[in-house]
Amino acid sequence: MNRLNQLAVNQDGFAFDPMTGESFTLNPSAVEAVKQFSKGASCEEAAQHLTQVFDVGASDALRDVEDLVSRLKNFNLM
Amino acid sequence: MKNLTVALSGINAVDNPGPGTGVARSLREAPEFGGKLVGLAYDAMEPGLYMDWLFDRRYIMPYPSSDAVVLIERLLHVQRNSGLDCVIPNLDVELPLYLSAQDALKQHGIHTFLPTRDQFRLRSKEFVGGIAKKIGIEVPETAVVTSEPQLREAAVRLGFPVMVKGPFYKAYKAYSLGEAVSHFHKLAAEWGYPIIVQKMVTGTELNLVGVGDGEGGDFGLVAIKKMWITELGKIWTGVTIKHEGMLQAARNFLSETKWRGAFELECMLGHDGLIYMIEINPRFPAWTYFATGVGINLPLNLVRAATGLDVPKAPDYEAGKLFVRYTYEIVTDSEPLQQLVAHGER
Repeated sequence: MNRLNQLAVNQDGFAFDPMTGESFTLNPSAVEAVKQFSKGASCEEAAQHLTQVFDVGASDALRDVEDLVSRLKNFNLM
Repeated sequence: MKNLTVALSGINAVDNPGPGTGVARSLREAPEFGGKLVGLAYDAMEPGLYMDWLFDRRYIMPYPSSDAVVLIERLLHVQRNSGLDCVIPNLDVELPLYLSAQDALKQHGIHTFLPTRDQFRLRSKEFVGGIAKKIGIEVPETAVVTSEPQLREAAVRLGFPVMVKGPFYKAYKAYSLGEAVSHFHKLAAEWGYPIIVQKMVTGTELNLVGVGDGEGGDFGLVAIKKMWITELGKIWTGVTIKHEGMLQAARNFLSETKWRGAFELECMLGHDGLIYMIEINPRFPAWTYFATGVGINLPLNLVRAATGLDVPKAPDYEAGKLFVRYTYEIVTDSEPLQQLVAHGER
């Protein structure tokens, strides 16, 4: 989770990796999920959080979180 | 530093820009400097010759293929007419000549801050692989060739696409043997031999500018990522980064070589997470003003070191600062051009 902790994310979802200079655009649910991961949450815990913040069911939230994780892994951020 | 006169070359701010105007701007904007700046050019059309807000005097120089004596004579002429305390050569091809001339120039009170001849040779494109290994980073598989049959063999062995590079400047990507051969001849005709053939590494391009103190330390380091480049691979938009691996590689480079003077590390962060050395340039890059803009004035520190002044510890810089290059035009009378052509100076 270290790399993810270094990610600078603003309120508009613009994320900047100060190590590589890469920047990303996160949608609101991804911003919430990344915040949860930065606190050490698991995929299930992050998905559970999303169901509380957004109008989304548990299974959809978990699928979205897992999709986000695979993208973050592609960028070596997790 | 108020009374210093500093001359610098590489003021060809064109599509493949020299570093000179960025170096000049760094000095001009430093409140501590306040001295005079002299632009040295090889052609009366070099745009820096017309940037009167940067330079107090401008001179056309003999080509760097000439003898060191010719260079020394010309710089002494500059000194007689404009005063001259320090000179910063900013082009790769000039460095061998300035290395030969530096002792004689010093006797006349013209200071430089250059790498040694051994350091200069170590970072040449033929030997950069050895340095990369010593400083703990990778190097793409490379072949140094001097004939077309050697090029063909190397390109096929490395696998396409390959990078075909000249000994001093320019690098082209080749997707086929035909392209590689064409680039080989074009580069050899323009820059001579050897030609370097390198396996392509894909990833994120990371660059670092610094000034080595000649004792294994530095007078400042700034790392960036090129976000947008021209067809020639020159930066147009970039962002500062804090890649610890890259910064450590630079520190290792300095402690290993005891590098003296300006340098640029060009690296690639591969998709495998490893840093690959692409090139070490023995001078300031054309984006040097980026470092100045984020608070680390490397040209000023180099001038301090060259003239025997104390160099303060470089401050830290922030990651995420943006660099955006743009084009600009000057409209002027033809009189400056006439003077430069007729007198070689203005």
